[in-house]
Amino acid sequence: MKSDPYKAVAAKVESVVDETPTIKTFRFKPVEPIPFKAGQFVELSVPGYGEAPFTPSSSPAISDHMEITIMRAGTLTERIHTLKAGDDVGIRGPLGQPYPLDKYKGKEVLIVGGGVGLAPLRALLFGLFQEIDAYKKIILRYGARTPSDLVYRDAVSKAWDKKQLDVMLSVDKRDESWKGNEGVVTTILEKGKLSCDPKNGVAVVCGPPIMMKFATLKVLELGYAPENIYLSMEKNMSCGIGKCGHCRIGPYYACKDGPVFAYAQIQNESKIWD
Amino acid sequence: MAYKITAEKLDALLKALCEGRKLICLEQANDQLHLVRADGWSPEKHTLGAYRPVEPLKSLVFQPREFLGSLTDDTEVAGGKEVIVVGAKNCDLSALRIHDYVFLSDPVDPYYKAARERTILVSCDCTDAREVCFCTAVNEQPYAKKGFDVNLSETSKGYVVESGSEKGEKLLKSAGALLEPADEAILKERDQKRADMAKKVADLAASKGLKAGQDYQAAIKKSEESDLWDDFSKDCVECGACNYVCCTCHCFLLADGMVEGKAPGRVKQWDSCLHLNFARVAGGANPRKHRSERLHNRFDKKFNFFPQVLKTYACDGCGRCAEACTGKIDIRDVLKRALDEV
Repeated sequence: MKSDPYKAVAAKVESVVDETPTIKTFRFKPVEPIPFKAGQFVELSVPGYGEAPFTPSSSPAISDHMEITIMRAGTLTERIHTLKAGDDVGIRGPLGQPYPLDKYKGKEVLIVGGGVGLAPLRALLFGLFQEIDAYKKIILRYGARTPSDLVYRDAVSKAWDKKQLDVMLSVDKRDESWKGNEGVVTTILEKGKLSCDPKNGVAVVCGPPIMMKFATLKVLELGYAPENIYLSMEKNMSCGIGKCGHCRIGPYYACKDGPVFAYAQIQNESKIWD
Repeated sequence: MAYKITAEKLDALLKALCEGRKLICLEQANDQLHLVRADGWSPEKHTLGAYRPVEPLKSLVFQPREFLGSLTDDTEVAGGKEVIVVGAKNCDLSALRIHDYVFLSDPVDPYYKAARERTILVSCDCTDAREVCFCTAVNEQPYAKKGFDVNLSETSKGYVVESGSEKGEKLLKSAGALLEPADEAILKERDQKRADMAKKVADLAASKGLKAGQDYQAAIKKSEESDLWDDFSKDCVECGACNYVCCTCHCFLLADGMVEGKAPGRVKQWDSCLHLNFARVAGGANPRKHRSERLHNRFDKKFNFFPQVLKTYACDGCGRCAEACTGKIDIRDVLKRALDEV
């Protein structure tokens, strides 16, 4: 982080991977290392065009490179999707609060992701892998709209197999290639598809707003306590350092006090799912 | 330390204080006062001002639009020439507690810090009030208790001159020949004038149903589902004027663009929470889609958020928003209705 918190570290695009028709993963090489913890975010800027918050999807153990998975959803991401190897960007961060991994130790970790929401969860998985024996069990339940909307299918699924994670995927709408579950992600949180220990575990949820809402309600129903459910909140963050006022949730700023919140912190605030 | 100075010598004092510094002071135009840049103190053109000007003091330390240079340069923010503000009023001075909290807490905003450090604040007691003034109803008063470098209080026997900081004390020492120690009589008259002025503002606020000690936080907290936001927001045209003239509003946008069509650069500019896209995220989700929600948010930020994080309302009762509102939404009416509905 620079001494001027509004300034970014210069970086170059090293490579681009097409994940889905609307999602790409960019690999950046910053001019100086950017160490971060899983769950923290950065502000990525295209010089002269603008800046937006994204959570790195690469391993927090690596600081000289950073990968960010970006869905085309607005003017800036449209522009980002045109970037090629060698192009200049700026990276400001890391910003915000990470997943409190120390609190997860000795427990079972249930991770629920939806769509491009798997991006920060990928960084979390890499973080958990670093000390995998410290956690009782790691369970991943991931859903996307269609089989072609699933991200990291090749690279990460191999790592998942190797680490013997309890993984189940689902798609809202199957095609002929799909042999797995069909239905929204909460359908793979049902008994018979999920064996978990809510009293001795934490649940981590990240995805689009509507998925976050129903997945959180589902894990509450499973018996996870609000203080053991962790959400990564997406809000409009401009400055990223708790000054510009855009991302307020009740007495908090998502950028400074989040983006990772325990559900217990924000459950009484209004419109958290919008 | 309190001094006194005769009315005749006051101009000499102000001229001495302004020497070698950039001056910002007050000028009367029609029935309003304006914050203006000046080459030097001129008693014919400038005034200490009976009440606050149209433009908020925050605009000097948190500029409406500030160019931050290139995206990746981390050069130290230059201090720049000292600026002296003459005629600041308590509502504005006190409002800087909000900006100090926002911009000086870690990580420090170096632009704000530099501007704050180069600015000398010479305040003076209000000697009149605008119809919209209600500072006493939000636990403020029409004279400064702190936050100034030098404060001036007008009396029939000249001015009481007080320093409120080390910087101010030093300045007054350098102009020592013009000053005498304040005596009991002049301090007594000042206190009486202050009490009279506070009563005048309290009466104005009371005429709108507001008084000191009311629990606005409880009222605003409870009002979220009330129709009052629908009712008042019908007149809001989302111009953002209330935010821009507000002495405490601090929201801004970090924007990027091509500076002079050439190099990419970064700009920090005032933003308004009444604008539709203020909290909207890419993809279209927006926690405050309706104008009524955005109007409620403005009050929630001032009367619920800041009491939680800083134990203060982020409103000093300057009444600027009521004067600036295109839709004639009066903050006093909104607060009164929220109080009535608790």
